[in-house]
Amino acid sequence: MPERTKKVLPKAHQAPLPLDRLILQETPEAEAVPMDVLFVGGGPAGLAGAIALAKLVKADNEAGGDLGDVQIGVLEKAGALGEHSLSGAVVNPIAIRALFPELKDKDFPFRGSVGGERVYFMTGSRAVRIPTPPTMQNHGYQIGSICEIVRWLGEKAEGMGVNIFTGFPAASLLTEGQRVIGIRTAPSGLARSGDPGASYAAPTDITAQITVLAEGTRGTLSQAYLEWQKIPSDNPQIFALGVKEIWETVKPLDSVVHTLGWPVPKDCFGGSFMYPLSPNLIALGLVVGLDYKRTSDDVHEMLQRMKLHPFFKDLLESGEMVEWGAKTIPEGGYYALPKRRHGDGLMIAGDSAGFVEVASLKGIHYAMQSGMFAARAAFDALKRKDTSAASLKKYDAMVDGSFIVSDLRRRRNMRLAFQDSNFYVAGFKAGLMTVTGGVLPGGKIESHPDADVERDATQPEPFIPDGKLTFSKLDAVFKSGNATRDDIPSHLLVGPDIKPEVADLYAHMCPAGVYERDGERLVVSPANCIDCKATDVLGPRWTPREGGSGPKYRQM
Amino acid sequence: MANVFAFAESRGTDVRKVGLEAVTAARMLADKSGGGEVHALVMGPPGIAAKAAQIGQFGADVVVVVEHAGLASYNPEVATATAVDRIKSGGYRAALFSTSAQGRDLSPRVAARLGVSIVTDVLSFEIDGDSIVVRHPMNIGKVIATIAMASKPAVIAMRPNVIAPAQNAKAGRVENAPPSIDPSSGRVKVIETKAGGGGKLDLAEAPVVIAGGRGLKAAENFKLVEDLASAFGNAAVGATRAVTDDGWRPHSDQIGQTGRLVSPELYIAVGISGAVQHLAGMRTSKTIVAVNKDKDAPIFKVADYGIVGDAFEVIPALTEAVREAKKHH
Amino acid sequence: MKIAVCIKRVPDMDVRFRIGADNVSVDEAGLKFDINDFDAWGVEAALRLKDKNPGSEVTVISLGPDVVQETIRKALSMGADRGIQLKADKIPFDGFPIAKALSEELKTGSYDLIFFGKMAPDSSNGVVGPMTAEFLNLPCVTAISSLEIADGKGTAKRELEGAQEIVEFPLPAVLTADEGLNAARLPSLKGIMAAKKKPLEVKPAQLPAAQLVVRKLELPAERKAGRIVGEGAAAVPELVKLLQTEAKVL
Repeated sequence: MPERTKKVLPKAHQAPLPLDRLILQETPEAEAVPMDVLFVGGGPAGLAGAIALAKLVKADNEAGGDLGDVQIGVLEKAGALGEHSLSGAVVNPIAIRALFPELKDKDFPFRGSVGGERVYFMTGSRAVRIPTPPTMQNHGYQIGSICEIVRWLGEKAEGMGVNIFTGFPAASLLTEGQRVIGIRTAPSGLARSGDPGASYAAPTDITAQITVLAEGTRGTLSQAYLEWQKIPSDNPQIFALGVKEIWETVKPLDSVVHTLGWPVPKDCFGGSFMYPLSPNLIALGLVVGLDYKRTSDDVHEMLQRMKLHPFFKDLLESGEMVEWGAKTIPEGGYYALPKRRHGDGLMIAGDSAGFVEVASLKGIHYAMQSGMFAARAAFDALKRKDTSAASLKKYDAMVDGSFIVSDLRRRRNMRLAFQDSNFYVAGFKAGLMTVTGGVLPGGKIESHPDADVERDATQPEPFIPDGKLTFSKLDAVFKSGNATRDDIPSHLLVGPDIKPEVADLYAHMCPAGVYERDGERLVVSPANCIDCKATDVLGPRWTPREGGSGPKYRQM
Repeated sequence: MANVFAFAESRGTDVRKVGLEAVTAARMLADKSGGGEVHALVMGPPGIAAKAAQIGQFGADVVVVVEHAGLASYNPEVATATAVDRIKSGGYRAALFSTSAQGRDLSPRVAARLGVSIVTDVLSFEIDGDSIVVRHPMNIGKVIATIAMASKPAVIAMRPNVIAPAQNAKAGRVENAPPSIDPSSGRVKVIETKAGGGGKLDLAEAPVVIAGGRGLKAAENFKLVEDLASAFGNAAVGATRAVTDDGWRPHSDQIGQTGRLVSPELYIAVGISGAVQHLAGMRTSKTIVAVNKDKDAPIFKVADYGIVGDAFEVIPALTEAVREAKKHH
Repeated sequence: MKIAVCIKRVPDMDVRFRIGADNVSVDEAGLKFDINDFDAWGVEAALRLKDKNPGSEVTVISLGPDVVQETIRKALSMGADRGIQLKADKIPFDGFPIAKALSEELKTGSYDLIFFGKMAPDSSNGVVGPMTAEFLNLPCVTAISSLEIADGKGTAKRELEGAQEIVEFPLPAVLTADEGLNAARLPSLKGIMAAKKKPLEVKPAQLPAAQLVVRKLELPAERKAGRIVGEGAAAVPELVKLLQTEAKVL
């Protein structure tokens, strides 16, 4: 009788969100830094919001308004703006145009517009070109590096008097009753024991009339707020993991390329993207839903194998991989949106709220636009001196009435587009659009959090990277620029009952080699962590740690 | 044809190897200019004069000896004033120093007093018409600059170990001179010099680094590496991140992207596979030796010389061989 | 005490550099810039003295184009009191004119201590500190890894090859900071806010002509593939011979 395959249910080994650390009912310290509006997260949502608010305040002051000096802050955990920003940045420029009506497209920090695009269905040895599905058409969009876009936005924000605090992760929300009154930063300079080390810097409190959470994907404080306030959504949020590399190549690439199929297993949702930042500087990546079915499924390794396919190998060979990174993408879409994205003194914007449209894998313009709506709501609230939930409710109304929600809502039925032919069904199943939380016509499908999906404990096929075309996770982390100090205390909360097969799950789930299985034991190297948050979805909980830790992306 | 000045660095009554290198470099430069004289300056406490002949053998036509009881330690202000006076009076085309701890301190002071520019850490030099053209590593060795020096004299501090001291049969003329200022009048005073023992050298400064990895299997086996370091006498011991993470060695010993960056003359990797993070910390080393059981280990890709084999067998043999070699040196 | 710290804006070294189209500069596209680490240790040393000696003032000075104001702000956010930009189109490679321009500024300030980093990683020349000291005719201790100041007198440690020197010097003096002197503090949030209001004076740099001309920059040759000398202990004699005769390191 064949031995039954062992099963792993990720949720059974996950620690709960440490709400007692994340939501503090404490009076801010006397020396707290006072801001009027604080954006937590210096990505496209937070920076666009800060810029939009600064513009509104300036216009109001010039028109003789009574707001006076409004202190706007942006808090960013990376050591410098953009260092934690990663995206497959083919950008719909609608939001940046709206933010800077005085500028022309050529003034924006884009690398070029999308020339052409091709979609292929892959098998282990072949690549068959298929018609480009409407949801994947990018014509008229701009190619960019989110790192560069974010740095550019940061310069604009700084020029308008916004206070940008890089290297300061927000570790807790400060609350008073139901009201959010600010944040407390993470300390730095802790020794491995958790005690203050030689370069210890204590946490700082920042108070704000309005706090806008723009933490990006799987935001820790956003999750905590939603849980604390018991704010539901129709479906749970689900995630995919994207692993991305940037290559300097000898051969040029002139168009955006997507592939479906191999090397993503048939029962996983995923696909690849590839686009030129300049003709010989190519970004490529693989996105796979975190509801995959086996403990040995490994997105980083799938991407490595994928590059051995002649389709990619021909282009990349004799080139050099210059940068590597990874991050999760919220893919729940319309039905996973929290019912309320505001509260007393608080709004949630961008990826943290789940504003990503899965079919086209786009979120940057939604992030920026939602930040700008939050700015408008904040401005109006400051004007009427009422920053209560009732006053900030306008934010949700603006988002709901905009292209953000209408896009997400229209694509809630995206499966329809793929049911026209059997070919697309195959393409879809193995494809880019991980819509486990998607909908059928006429209603919504119930979906499960990724951690509730049981995995078969399987052994991987051995794979030995060659260090030229394919890379180990350690080599990859090096290329992320991660230089986190080695003696940092662990920011990862490992849950109960970590059996060897659970350690295997973690080792394969994490693209950065944070987890290794050593015999029966799970070994954790927290310094390797590049904040992709996959661990928070399926494994040990991620918590904010010393500012400036993690990757140092340059042109992701 | 032009005369060239060289500062023959000393410590106590010993002329340092880098001092002899500066003399040999000056000889090469004088020869390139058509064969001028090399005038070397050596300063030190009583006993230093006995070393003048040795300096002559390395290419100095004149050895200026400044022997004074007040010069037991390096005295920056006395050395600066004395070197400047000699250089001014000699009409030299160039003045050569070493980019050692002492040379880094002394040579810019001398250049400033002479009112000329200086390039330190020089890898090589050529004469090109009125200029001396030098090569100098920038951006931690990731860029090499070619720089034309028009000033006279050109003040050049050589990178240690790029020119081997070369002996010739000639003995230089010895001149004795007093220090230009009274050593007791220097404002900056060295009140103590502590010698560091072998193996306790700082990783960043040590000319030889021996690093151990997980291939050593246990903390106590680092004794093999320490023994090899003490056989060299001028070696420091380092380790990989895996080893420091396991607590076999302190974190301060870790070489790599997230640890110390080292660039010694000789780097010996023992039982180190060669993860990129580690390579980032040592790949600018001048000569890299790897000893590893696995012939496919990535460390062999960056190593100049590799031995495939068991560290427990190879390292004791190497330690013995180095001890022998040092005896005869 | 009046303390000055001279700081330089330098690129992050953790990249592969490209040579610019002019062949004599490094392509700055995509490079990240920050205060030189050695200089940051100088700032930290100054701030620690200020902490111990209430009423002290720390002035940071940086030479270069307007982008160096960002570097000055960083030092101000660490806790320095005021900044001076010596404005120049670019930062020359030659340390001589830089030291001249800095000394012209510094001599007007009657500082008790002037800190430099022992070197900057980009030019990797390490001469500006001691040259400035000579132009100011001040006592100078370079590459210090510890420092104590008491009764108008200082004691510092210098790391030599395989040895350490303990050095005494009178004030005023010029010091250059080496690794080990301290760990530079990160700017605090309050520090960043306060820095926005601190004075930053801009003056033209009085730069004499450079005597050094960078003719060419190039990337070093890739390390040649090594070779396997042999297997096991039997290969040791051959290795030792190669280290002696070919590599000349033994």
